[in-house]
Amino acid sequence: MIFAIAANGNNLSALVNQNFGRCEWFCLFDTKTHKNLFIENPANQNPEKAGCDAVEILLGKNVGIAIAGRFGSKVADMFRRNNIQMVIPEIQQTVSEITNQIK
Amino acid sequence: MGRTKKDRRIQMAPHFSGFKPQGVQCKTGDDVCINFEEYEAINLCDYELLTQAEAAKLMNVSRPTFTRIYESVRRKIAKAFLEGSSINFEGGNVAFADWYKCTRCKVTFTLPVNTDKLCPFCKTQVISENN
Repeated sequence: MIFAIAANGNNLSALVNQNFGRCEWFCLFDTKTHKNLFIENPANQNPEKAGCDAVEILLGKNVGIAIAGRFGSKVADMFRRNNIQMVIPEIQQTVSEITNQIK
Repeated sequence: MGRTKKDRRIQMAPHFSGFKPQGVQCKTGDDVCINFEEYEAINLCDYELLTQAEAAKLMNVSRPTFTRIYESVRRKIAKAFLEGSSINFEGGNVAFADWYKCTRCKVTFTLPVNTDKLCPFCKTQVISENN
């Protein structure tokens, strides 16, 4: 299972972004290999449909669970249709805190 | 008897219960009550900037019905602003989209179809429905 975490920066101490579509980086965490891979979100400056483009990128990476502070309604609808789980942490956490919880 | 209203689907309820006007000594007039479907209409149309047709589809109602809901909330907000009355969020004919909670990990999440009700982080089954 690959987790996608919306992050503010490309390191493990970055905070989880409060907005899924407009985050700058995604951290892809593979539960099998325990490896982190940071990819840039090319859609974060789009005037509209930033979230939808981001979803499509993540679909191409076979992501199973997405983590962010908030999901827009279009994004939530797309994730539900593609059977991908969405997770919203209630407290501000860093990427490494999240990955430690998953392990 | 009038026809019963169809449930409108909303993603999440507001996490606070309303607004109060500033600097009003004594209450003037009645409170304005905005129900959850109207809150969701404002959210979809004016915060997430969807068109009314797209928003209607997400809420599982027809486009004309959505326009009616949206119009009613705009009038209520205008009334509250001009008369200085407080706004309460309550009631409405709504069905919440499925979100679940794990109290141990402090996360809110959705579940993929045809899976057990497990928290994605700690894999325990103690999760509650969130609404």
